[in-house]
Amino acid sequence: MAKEKIPRQPMPEQAPEDRARNFEEVPYGYSEEIAILEASRCLKCKKPRCVLGCPVNVDIPGFIAFVQEGKFIEAAWKLKEQNTLPAVCGRVCPQEEQCEKLCVLGVKGEPVAVGRLERFVADYERNSGKIKVPQIAAKTGKRAAVVGAGPAGLTVAGDLIKLGHEVTVFEALQQPGGVLTYGIPEFRLPKAIVQAEVDYLKKLGIEFVMDFVVGRNSTIRELLDDEGYEAVFVGSGAGLPSFMRIPGENLVGVYSANEYLTRSNLMKAYLFPKYDTPPIKRERVAVIGGGNVAMDSARTALRLGGDVTIVYRRAREQMPGRDEEIHHAEEEGVKFKLLNNPIRIIGDDRHRVVAMECIKMELGEPDDSGRRRPVPIEGSEFTMELDTVIVAIGNKPNPLIPQTMPELEMTKWGTIVVDDNTMQTSVPGVFAGGDIVSGAATVILAMGQGRIAAAAMNDYLAKK
Amino acid sequence: MKLTIDGQSVTAEEGQTVLECALENDISIPHLCMHSSLSPFGACRLCVVEIEGMRGYPTSCTTPAAEAMVVRTDTEALQNLRRNILALMMLEHPSACLVCGRRELCEQYRPEAERAGSTTGCHTCNNKEVCEVRVLADDLGLTELPVPPVYHERPVERSEPFMDRDLNLCILCGRCVRICKYHQGKSVIDFVGRGSETRIGQAFGHSLLEAGCQFCGSCVDVCPTGSLADRYAKWYGKPDIVTESTCIFCDQACALALGAGDGKLVAAQAVNESVPVCVLGRFAIPEFLNGNDRLGVPLVRAGEVLRQVEWEEALETTVTKLSEFVGDSFVLVCDTTSTLEDRHIFKKFTSEVMKSKNYVEIEPDAQGVSRGSLPKGTKAALLTGSFVDPAELEQLEFLIVQDCYPTPASGRADVVLPAAVFAEIEGTILDRSGQKRPLRKACEPPGLAKPEWWIICRLAKAMGAKGFGYESADAIAREAGIPDAKLWVDRPDAPPAATNLELRRTYFRGHQIDEKVRGLRELPVDDSCAFEVTAEKPEGAFRILEKREIAPNVHEIIIAAPEVAKKALPGQFIILMVDEKSERVPYTLSGWDAEKGTITLVVLEKGQSSRKLVLLNVNDKLAHVVGPLGVPLEIENYGTVVLAAGCYGIAAIAPIAEAMKNAGNRVIAISEARSHYLHYYQDKLQSVCDEFVQTTIDGSMGTRGHAIDALTQKLNDGEKIDRVIAVGCPFMMMVTAQETKPYGVKTLAALNPIMLDGTGMCGACRVTVGDQMKFACVDGPFFDAHLIDWDELRDRRAAYSAEEIHSLGRTESVASGKSGQRKCRCTH
Repeated sequence: MAKEKIPRQPMPEQAPEDRARNFEEVPYGYSEEIAILEASRCLKCKKPRCVLGCPVNVDIPGFIAFVQEGKFIEAAWKLKEQNTLPAVCGRVCPQEEQCEKLCVLGVKGEPVAVGRLERFVADYERNSGKIKVPQIAAKTGKRAAVVGAGPAGLTVAGDLIKLGHEVTVFEALQQPGGVLTYGIPEFRLPKAIVQAEVDYLKKLGIEFVMDFVVGRNSTIRELLDDEGYEAVFVGSGAGLPSFMRIPGENLVGVYSANEYLTRSNLMKAYLFPKYDTPPIKRERVAVIGGGNVAMDSARTALRLGGDVTIVYRRAREQMPGRDEEIHHAEEEGVKFKLLNNPIRIIGDDRHRVVAMECIKMELGEPDDSGRRRPVPIEGSEFTMELDTVIVAIGNKPNPLIPQTMPELEMTKWGTIVVDDNTMQTSVPGVFAGGDIVSGAATVILAMGQGRIAAAAMNDYLAKK
Repeated sequence: MKLTIDGQSVTAEEGQTVLECALENDISIPHLCMHSSLSPFGACRLCVVEIEGMRGYPTSCTTPAAEAMVVRTDTEALQNLRRNILALMMLEHPSACLVCGRRELCEQYRPEAERAGSTTGCHTCNNKEVCEVRVLADDLGLTELPVPPVYHERPVERSEPFMDRDLNLCILCGRCVRICKYHQGKSVIDFVGRGSETRIGQAFGHSLLEAGCQFCGSCVDVCPTGSLADRYAKWYGKPDIVTESTCIFCDQACALALGAGDGKLVAAQAVNESVPVCVLGRFAIPEFLNGNDRLGVPLVRAGEVLRQVEWEEALETTVTKLSEFVGDSFVLVCDTTSTLEDRHIFKKFTSEVMKSKNYVEIEPDAQGVSRGSLPKGTKAALLTGSFVDPAELEQLEFLIVQDCYPTPASGRADVVLPAAVFAEIEGTILDRSGQKRPLRKACEPPGLAKPEWWIICRLAKAMGAKGFGYESADAIAREAGIPDAKLWVDRPDAPPAATNLELRRTYFRGHQIDEKVRGLRELPVDDSCAFEVTAEKPEGAFRILEKREIAPNVHEIIIAAPEVAKKALPGQFIILMVDEKSERVPYTLSGWDAEKGTITLVVLEKGQSSRKLVLLNVNDKLAHVVGPLGVPLEIENYGTVVLAAGCYGIAAIAPIAEAMKNAGNRVIAISEARSHYLHYYQDKLQSVCDEFVQTTIDGSMGTRGHAIDALTQKLNDGEKIDRVIAVGCPFMMMVTAQETKPYGVKTLAALNPIMLDGTGMCGACRVTVGDQMKFACVDGPFFDAHLIDWDELRDRRAAYSAEEIHSLGRTESVASGKSGQRKCRCTH
């Protein structure tokens, strides 16, 4: 009973008014004392429900028990048995929807802060410099290729190398990490952490080939037939931004969230002119959309000195972004114009954005997604003066690989068809996972699919 | 005396020339070598006139006005003569744009000059907006050149501090030579060589520095062409507004004309052209004020770090803490580079609000160094610069730094207040003779920085003090009895540092000016330490195997990139990063060799990223090369295919021509250039194509005009053309599209918008084609040219012009490779 009296430990973080002006990470993380205290809240259930909520099946009570004993390195070790990127997951996983949602403590009170503990443990190991390289199974002599160095690809690569296979990861951009590098901002996921996780994978023996576009430099067919790879995992992501198809979307000052975030995160435009890529530093910014990417864009724009408004066509309850992200954005001073839909972007004679026309919406009957469908209110049009519009309404799968592999079966949404149990595609030896399969989802789901794919690929390679 | 010019009776003074007299009476006579601050020279001969009773055509600039003289300035014969003189002059100047038939359309489509490495026409010339030659060509109706022009292929000189010199643009008017002799009393520069090899230079091949140049910049100011340029200011164009103010880098108080664009200071020069200013006044001010690390946001200490806050919070924090130190434990330290108004407020604040007698005002020494120390018992201090030994600051309980740049002092301060300085403020300063001189606001301070009186008055008010409600520096001047000050425009001689640059000050408020202004680091000072400037070396795995300038400003670069070479197809491109901090920039593949594993790029130096690329050398490595990207061009047997190409496109069509030919097409290549010397790859194209046509804008080789002019000629002749493919700058492709449209010929253009990833991920390269949104990287680069929104493409390509100029201003002299070790007296 005593255990329940300890409240869930908050994580100290930068004050909103400070962090709204810098790119430093928002939370500072737990101290050792707080971590032990929080870990002591865990009931160590015999049949832990939390594990069921984890897409990569981390032994949650197991690692938390080590934390409680102050054995942080051992805790990290436990964590890494199942999770290739714990420092990343501790930061960007929606734990409230997964492990923490199922925690027994959550029924009456607040669940154990699994995510914060995961983050603490991973950071502890990295900062200690005592990063252990796990036992690697005997070399199988089999070669696997991974297309895309994002969360799904890195997970597959990490699992396969441990099973003794040779793994090459092909990445189109100049740095590995996929969305972790180009999409999620520094203040939410410091790039040094992504780099450290990748360095760890390199230490395991994974070969990374940057600046290599599968579909252009080699097709998957060529990887299989000519270049000696026996299995290929496709984790090429949802890299094709959606636009609203309204007038004015090609004006100077209209950006896809992908472009906006890539400039800032991958190209380090916020450090211009130390880096050559110019930032988008403007006064009045509207971000269209209500997801995590919209929040990331809005908070980046804020840090670049903008006055930022989120424009979303449904209500707050329907916003797909994590509560924590929406809350952070609000705290930092992002404004919200909910139940509003843009209908036209207006430019000047040099094609620069000067305003956006919107229409007010109300909620009607539920649609396919179960959310109440927004309906325009006739005659409620109004104009917002702006110089920047960031469109964050989602991504479609990047078509480059399907285009260059016609035998690959695709859905009508442009995603790759896979067997859910193995992540194998219609082409034997070709597996897929992450956003190229699920459309646009989360980092951890992509990693979960990577886990499944890696296991199936291991079986497949064993039989070859 | 009285004389008649063009039938108008005018009066002249003794010693005036006919030209001076005419200009004074608003009668314009074309002239070029004459300049108001120089004695007559009679070199260009454009100012010829007819004078009754005199034989031939005397030059009005050298002919003294005389009683009862009858002068004609505007006869047909004179205009013809002048036009011929100008045409001859234009034979050694990149003058094709002056005689271009599409000049108006071009200038409408791209009003701003493009930022090329070397200038081969008006639209890539930094002097475009203020060019005197362009005005003359318009006035005289110059439309063609008598014979093909000559291009001397002189390397652009950009390794000297502050100035770029492109002698390919020089028309030998001699203004620079004369102003230099006039201002410096000796010829640092002069005419060198003879006959057609005559050029401006230094004797014995010396550098400007070795020849004794003082960098007063007068030569740049008088140059009528883009031949001599201020490296920092050159791409900003004509300032929006010029304000006359006073230099405060030293106590000479020279009057300066400060030019600002978009609120930012971009240029400075002497108000009085006949008296030069020193290197600091002429070249250092914009770079100093526009430094990247200028303090622009108030900072308040939170533990180990300083955090950015709004003014309100900064003032509140300061006041709360400061009120603990009322009395003599407080000290305010400033130096006399602060205005009289600011100092009045500093003093008043110290005595009336802080009730302290410790107001310390330091007089800088000859180098500009202001050193002071804190009185014994000081617990709190407000410093307006880096004046005090950092060790002394350790003992303080509260430190406020109000400054323009971060310093060791601001690093350990409790509060940092960003100050507007120099050209960003109004006020009055005292010069060395005790005269008062005005400072006038010429540009905006960075970020939230504020004038110092404003900051201190706000502090005083927040502490409840009365009598600090000033609205302006003027109001303070009235209270303090500071009279109206006058600019020192008519100073009889140059300041000492203008003729001996070693006498210049090197510090301003404790900041080493050299540290902020690159060019200064290459100038001599005395010798206590080596201040190292290390140019970053690119790293990466893609080596440059060969590199040469195949035409002015056009560079052919061969790079080892086997993965690209293996798969490249005609029409594809790559994305390249020179180093890890570079932009990702697309370049069209002009050739590849799968066996050798090499690719060939033909790159025009235009803007920051291409500049970084072409300044590399053989064996340097590029950080990243990714490709081939883009949809390859569809190659089929169409019948007759015309490949129209300009600038980099001339190289880009070479592989296309070969593929089209192999597919059975009759291939006609049309290569366009402004002048004959800009053509390249001609033999290659000639050998591949069935027909090869050259065009030049100035008519110096092949058909006169653009590629489209040769093409329409064919279409008008009834030649059957099945497909046109245009590769070149957007203007060239737009013109081609517009003019093939009436003929109904299928025309494709290769688009080149700004890209990031090049794989469809970001959508930066969106273009509108037939009302549809397309991504140039994955849907293109080739699109139906008749459906492209060309104006949108132009504006999207120009989205970052302003930022680019800022980058260019910063990186150019690093690129010169000259910034090496030097001596200075700093503490580095």
